[in-house]
Amino acid sequence: MDAPDDPFATATVAVQNVHVRYKTPSVDAAERRRGSLARRVAQRVMQREPQVVVRALSGISFVARSGEQIGIVGQNGSGKSTLLRIIAGLERPARGQVLAEATPILVGVNAALIPDLSGVQNVHLGCLAMGMSPAEAEASAPDVIDLARLGKSIYLPMKTYSSGMGARLRFAIATAARPRILLIDEALATGDAAFKERSEARMQRMRDEAGTVFLVSHAAQTIEETCTRAIWLNYGRLVLDGPAADVALRYRKWAWAIAKDKPDEAKRLIEAAFAERRETYVRVDEPMPHRGYRPRHAPPSHAKHPALPSSTKPNRSER
Amino acid sequence: MTTTPSGAAGTQHGAAQSADLNALLFPTRDPNLEVVTSSRLTRVGARPPFATYLRMIWQRRHFLWAEARAKVASGSRETLLGQAWLVLTPVLDGLVFFVMFGLVLRANQGVENFVGFLLIGVFLFGFASRCITNGSNAISAGKNLIKAFQFPRASLPIAVVLREVLNLGITLLALGLLLLAIPPTENWTWRVALIVPTLALLIVFVTGIALFMARLCAAVPDIHRVISLVMRMLMWGSGVMFPLTRFENQPGLLAVVRANPLFIAIDMTRAAVLHGVTPPPSQWLAMTAWAVGTFTIGLVFFWHAEESYGRA
Repeated sequence: MDAPDDPFATATVAVQNVHVRYKTPSVDAAERRRGSLARRVAQRVMQREPQVVVRALSGISFVARSGEQIGIVGQNGSGKSTLLRIIAGLERPARGQVLAEATPILVGVNAALIPDLSGVQNVHLGCLAMGMSPAEAEASAPDVIDLARLGKSIYLPMKTYSSGMGARLRFAIATAARPRILLIDEALATGDAAFKERSEARMQRMRDEAGTVFLVSHAAQTIEETCTRAIWLNYGRLVLDGPAADVALRYRKWAWAIAKDKPDEAKRLIEAAFAERRETYVRVDEPMPHRGYRPRHAPPSHAKHPALPSSTKPNRSER
Repeated sequence: MTTTPSGAAGTQHGAAQSADLNALLFPTRDPNLEVVTSSRLTRVGARPPFATYLRMIWQRRHFLWAEARAKVASGSRETLLGQAWLVLTPVLDGLVFFVMFGLVLRANQGVENFVGFLLIGVFLFGFASRCITNGSNAISAGKNLIKAFQFPRASLPIAVVLREVLNLGITLLALGLLLLAIPPTENWTWRVALIVPTLALLIVFVTGIALFMARLCAAVPDIHRVISLVMRMLMWGSGVMFPLTRFENQPGLLAVVRANPLFIAIDMTRAAVLHGVTPPPSQWLAMTAWAVGTFTIGLVFFWHAEESYGRA
C-alpha cells in the first residue's frame, strides 16, 4: 500500500466543479408564450412543446477518500441520483469532470438483468457484464447467492421476484466484483432487516479494504447510522459537506420544517448551513509527460516548465 | 504541495483559522483547496484509445455471447412449443414461398429451381435487414444497460448482430432441410462450404453498417424511421425476388446492383449452393473490400462519439 502520509494516496474520487443540464420539453403555458413568433408557430405546427433547460447539478466539488462511506441526502429531485450517475461515468457533465481511482460500480434501481432468466443465470450474466471471465463468474457465484440468500427462489425467473428480492440480487451481483468504489442508489431501502445487516457488513468490509461507498437516501436516519460523511444537496447545489451526524441532523430539521409547512424556519436553517459551508476547490495536478529526450541547452532544473496547469476551476455558488 | 483533509477534522481546523484578518475583511470563509494527481486518478467515462477500446470489446466477448444466447432463447419462452419455433418459423416461411411461387403462380422468372433461388435471397436479405434496422436502434433499446454499467458501447450493436447470427444459423438449417425436400433437389458439392466465408464477410459488413447507423440514430432518432424505408428499396436493388436479367436494358442500374454488397453476398451463396460453382474472384474481392472498409469506418465512427451515448 501507499505511504499513509502521502496526501495523494487516499483520494479515490475527485468531483471537480460539475454542472449538469438537461434539455427537456415542458407543457408549461408560460414557457409556450416565450420565444419569437416564428418559433411559436413552428412549435404549434410540429406539435412540439417548448424546450426548457433543467439545471440538475451546478458547481459540485468534493474529494472522497478511501475508507469513507458518504451519504447523499436531499429532497426528491435535488440531483442525488444524477450525481451518482455522473460519478459512475454513465453521463457526461456539461462542465467539470470526475476523476476516479477505479471504475465505480453503480447499484441502480433498474440495473439491466433479463427478467425471463432465472436468478442463477442472471448472476452469471451480471458477473460477465462487469467484465469477469466465465471462470471468475463461476467462482464468485456461490458468494453472490449466499449474500442475496433467496433460497429456492434463485432458480425461478427474475420476473417472479418482488422488488425487494430483485434489489437484494442486484446488490449482491454488484459487490461480487469487489469494486473499490461502490455507488448505491436507494437499493437497500427495499431489503428486510436481516438483509440490511448482511449488506452493511459487506459495505464495511469494502471500506476496510480501502474502498469508498456512496449511498443515496432521503431517509436521513440511514445516513446517520451507517455513513462517516454526508453531502446535502438542494436543487442541484451543494448545501453542506461534513460529518454524517451533523449534516444529517441539520437536513432532518430542515425537512421537518418543510413537512410542517414552516418555510421561514426552513429558510433560516438552510441559509445557516450555506453560510457555514467551506467551498471546495479541486485542483488536478498533471504530472509532466516524459519527453524521452532533454534539450542540450536546457538547465537541469524544471525552470522551463510552465508554472502550473491551469485546471483549477473555482467553485462559486451564487446565492 | 499541502492539502487539507476534508471531513470533520478539516472543517474544525478551518473554523479555528478563520479568525484572521482575511476572514474579518471578507465575510466568505476561506475555501478548502483539494489537490489530486491525475497520475492516480483518471477521468470516469472517458473515451479510451482505439486499441484499448478494441481490447475492451474483446474482453466482453463472453458476455456478448451469453446475452445473445439468452435473448434468442427467451424470445419463444411464452409459447407452447418453445424453442422449436426457432426452426419452425423459417421452415413455415419457406413453405409459404414454395406454395405461392412453386405451386400456385408457377412463376420462375426464367430461373431453374426458383424456390431455392427465392429462399436464399429472402433469408439472407432478411438477416441483413434485421441486423441493420435493429442494430441502428441498439443505443435507445439498450438504454437500461447504458444507465447501469460502464462498458464499451459498441458492444450493443455488436450484440444485436450476434443475436441475428444465431438466428441465421437456425434459419440456414431450415433452408438446408427445405432445399433437400422441395423438388428439384440439387446435387450438392463441396462448394456448399463456401457459404461459410461468404456469410462471414456479410456479417462483418452488416456489423459495420449497424455501428455507423447506431451513432447516427443516437444523435438524430428520426433517422431510424427512414431506415426501414431504405431497406425496402434496397430489397428491390439486391436481386432478392428476380434475377438480374430484368435489368439487362439498363446498364447503369445493372452496374449499381452488381456493386451492391448485399446482392454480391446473395449471388455468391446462390452460386455455391444452387449452381455448385465457385464464385468469381472479382466478387470475393469486392465483398472483402466492402466488409473491411465498412467495418473499419463504422467502428471508428462509433467510437468517436463514445462519451455521448449516455445522454440518449
